[in-house]
Amino acid sequence: MLELDNLHVRYTPTKKLLSPAAKPVKALNGVSFSLGPGQTMGLVGESGSGKSTLAKAILKLTDVHSGAINFEGQDVTQLNRKDSLSFRKNVQGVLQDPYSSLNPLHDVGVIVGDPITRHLGIKRRDTRNQRVRELLTLVGLSADFLERKPHQLSGGQRQRVSIARALAVEPKLLIADEATSALDVSIQSQIINLLKKIQQEKQLALLFIAHDLEVVKHIATDVGVMYLGYLVELGKTETLYSEPTHPYTKMLLASIPVPNPKQQEKRKALRQSFINAEPPSPSNLPMGCPFANRCPVAMDICKKEMPDPTVTANGFSRCHLHTSGPKLDGETVVDFIKKQAHT
Amino acid sequence: MQSFIRKPLAVASSIWIFLLLVAFVRPSILATHATTFSDTTFAFDKPSSQHFFGRGQVGEDLYSFAVYGGQNAVRSILIAVGIGALVGVPLGLISAWAGGRIDRATMWLVDLLFSIPVIMLAIAIVAILGSGITSAMVGIGFAMITRFARITRAAALAEKEELYIDAAKITGLSSFTTMRRYIFPNLIPTLVVQVAILSSIVILIGTGLSAIGVGAERDDADWGAMILRASENSLSEGYWLFFPACLPLLLTIVSLNLLGDALRDSYVPSGSVTSLTSTRRTAKTTTADLDVIDRAALFSVASLSVEFPTAKKQSPKKVLHDITFSVKKGEVLGVVGESGSGKSITMLASAGLLPAPGQITQGSTYFDGRDLTTATEKQWQKIRGNDIGYIFQEPIASLNPALTVGNQLIEPLLVHTDLTKKEARAKAEELLAEVRIPDPASRMKQYPHEFSGGMAQRVGIAMALACEPKLLIADEPTTALDVTVQGQILDLLSDIQTRRDMAIIFVTHDLGVIAEIADQVIVMYAGQVVEQASAENIFSSPTHPYTQALLATMPQNHSGDVDKPLTVIEGTVPSQTSIDAGCQFAPRCTYVQEQCTVTLPTLTLVGGSTVACLRAEELQSEVVNLTVSSTEKVTQ
Ligand SMILES: Nc1ncnc2c1ncn2[C@@H]1O[C@H](COP(=O)(O)OP(=O)(O)O)[C@@H](O)[C@H]1O
Ligand code: SF4
Ligand code: SF4
Ligand SMILES: [Mg+2]
Repeated sequence: MLELDNLHVRYTPTKKLLSPAAKPVKALNGVSFSLGPGQTMGLVGESGSGKSTLAKAILKLTDVHSGAINFEGQDVTQLNRKDSLSFRKNVQGVLQDPYSSLNPLHDVGVIVGDPITRHLGIKRRDTRNQRVRELLTLVGLSADFLERKPHQLSGGQRQRVSIARALAVEPKLLIADEATSALDVSIQSQIINLLKKIQQEKQLALLFIAHDLEVVKHIATDVGVMYLGYLVELGKTETLYSEPTHPYTKMLLASIPVPNPKQQEKRKALRQSFINAEPPSPSNLPMGCPFANRCPVAMDICKKEMPDPTVTANGFSRCHLHTSGPKLDGETVVDFIKKQAHT
Repeated sequence: MQSFIRKPLAVASSIWIFLLLVAFVRPSILATHATTFSDTTFAFDKPSSQHFFGRGQVGEDLYSFAVYGGQNAVRSILIAVGIGALVGVPLGLISAWAGGRIDRATMWLVDLLFSIPVIMLAIAIVAILGSGITSAMVGIGFAMITRFARITRAAALAEKEELYIDAAKITGLSSFTTMRRYIFPNLIPTLVVQVAILSSIVILIGTGLSAIGVGAERDDADWGAMILRASENSLSEGYWLFFPACLPLLLTIVSLNLLGDALRDSYVPSGSVTSLTSTRRTAKTTTADLDVIDRAALFSVASLSVEFPTAKKQSPKKVLHDITFSVKKGEVLGVVGESGSGKSITMLASAGLLPAPGQITQGSTYFDGRDLTTATEKQWQKIRGNDIGYIFQEPIASLNPALTVGNQLIEPLLVHTDLTKKEARAKAEELLAEVRIPDPASRMKQYPHEFSGGMAQRVGIAMALACEPKLLIADEPTTALDVTVQGQILDLLSDIQTRRDMAIIFVTHDLGVIAEIADQVIVMYAGQVVEQASAENIFSSPTHPYTQALLATMPQNHSGDVDKPLTVIEGTVPSQTSIDAGCQFAPRCTYVQEQCTVTLPTLTLVGGSTVACLRAEELQSEVVNLTVSSTEKVTQ
């Protein structure tokens, strides 16, 4: 249903008079994947890895440098006005910050009702409000929220309103960009359960973006890992978590603290085997693997050549350990990293 | 609107502006005489009951002239600000929305206009249209266009970055609709203030022009003309002649500015923006319960309660109730709880930083054997400069964007130590090296925005360490960071902590972080401490139902099939503490019984933990099994 083909996005800093043109920021570098109807894909990575840019590109909120985004066979980047509107109806988003993604001056009835008028042409106030009430019930809010303004809602309630707004036009694809990151764990779990329930009931395709891998694990069937604009690993969730094939994925996993002091001590040791360095700047990417300066198993080739996506048992991985690197000899990447860390 | 009415100055200003408007629409209501009324025999009579402001050169009634002058002033504003706003605001909006070439072209035009001084423009238009206040105001109006266009553009550009604009675009709203319904309404507060400021500037310029004879005719009922006439005669007749024109002028300018601010404030939807100033309210009552104070501790807080006054005549909002905790030398105390449970307020109040209008109603603080309960702001400054360091949640926002990182580090060193400037610089560099910032010498010259979140937090830590504190209070120092960066910051903090034998209070809502760093833990809920125990106990035998629930909701502790929904705590943290209705957690507690809604549980020792739950004892045995099974499931 959704297919990304070698997508590149660049942000060109506005040129100031008299100063030399600044280098463009390479926010997405050749991202390809596909998402079928009713499927949930998770997308993880540190901040600045291009997750939000990807969401914005799909939602047509940012210009694409090259590559294609196909939605139901049509290239989204080339849509005319009329198709654009029907695309907007089919693809909806829930954005990161529950505090700034709702217009502070509108009440919930207007926030959720606007898209109904726009896309479904329902103008009559009572029919529209009826529909809004149904949506509010669906997301677990009572009907009297209709008249509330965003500042009267808690973070979790705001995010429910955002979801109701997104669902108002019955989209086929929902993109949730860090939809739960600003919330407390207890509230986050409520929203995850809600999204999962709605996704299953409505057979939505869901692209769930988060920097918290633990959360993604509970909602996505497939997970993509991003680093500096590259999709460095993609695979089925369960295997990706138990046997990551990219050192960066392993680093992310090792960084999640476990609520158990003894286990956390072990995990901390693993985390510390990674090199403590700042990632390179996205406007000045190195020739080779962008992770090389933090990777405990970097090889000579890593600094010279960018690894291509290589098929693995679970999906694909962009790492020389799977191309021309050392023979893993049936060893997993994780074992390999552990062994290297000890020598 | 309520916030508006509560400000007496705002009310007074609106009354004045209302009178001005009456003077504009129908001056005869306010005036006692016509402007044509004159009688030279009574020229320059002093104020009397018939002529409140006295009489002028031809015996005219100066009070009535002032009223008609008000009519003129309002007309000036309407013309000049009207032209400025009606042309400038749309220009700014279009410019901001279109961007690219259109933006550059419009701004070029606006800048061109801007480069001509306002008065020159006015004089030029007067030369073209002929003299008179109207043509002068048309000239000023043209100059105002540039002001309005620039301000609108800047504000709209900022608004365009807000997420809800993206959200509006996702719903497929057209550009025009987005601009009209989403961006413009949010610019109104800014524009209202501008209209007020520019109106007062217009009056000033208008009066000024008339006073030098370029605007209104010499004999007109106009404040400027009145000033002109007063200046001709004041030497012989006395300075009171300026009063009839200058008083209304001054009042108008002050009122416009006050009213603009008040209108803007009443427009902000959530009027709850309070700035974080470091005012400490000294405790009204100090019921320092000596039993609960651990004098061996480095830092202890006993029975701390905090209230915030509420807007209406309701009882104040209680946000902290009877908080007691202590930290030993070299120990890490973890503080955990959902947001809104009072963690930040506890820490701020403990460090003498409680934001206004918060009030400490009860409680005492001891640091290193000293009683800080009644410390003055000055003493607190000294303590914070020497003994207690503080790290905030938002690393970049908590640094001053206008100062280089080096200077931000050096300044407090110069204040709190007797280091020379050179030594302070060396020390600052040393601190940056200690927090593992590569190449500290050149990093010192950079500004905060040139730092990544993780690097900025390192600077925050370096600043807190500058005073060689014995205690470091860190309020969610890693919440805004990536997990990978969080790991680095945790490593750094525990390293410094061991090396300096420093105590740390570490606030977080992530129990995983607590597991890594804390020795002792307090769990907070709705402004109360509900459980206090060693880190080991918190994880091996969490006793309070809230602690258990927090652990159970962590996705890491999710037991069983991934398809099973995650465990949640239904409901939300109450926004204020109420100690009359029994246990705060009752509405969300799975173990709630009737007694819970009646009796307020207090902290009592149960097993190895101090717990505030009526059923603690009975629950503890049951609970151990439950949590052990869920934590064991977590894979490495
Ligand atoms: N300036 C203020 N005015 C009124 N209430 C406030 C103010 N600051 C904080 N509060 C309230 O105090 C309570 C505790 O807040 P806080 O200490 O920030 O919690 P936490 O740090 O645990 O998230 C909340 O109910 C919050 O709304
Ligand atoms: S390509 Fe090399 S440097 Fe990059 S992740 Fe793989 S092993 Fe590490
Ligand atoms: S006192 Fe009652 S309601 Fe409160 S935590 Fe204990 S069992 Fe739950
Ligand atoms: Mg806080």
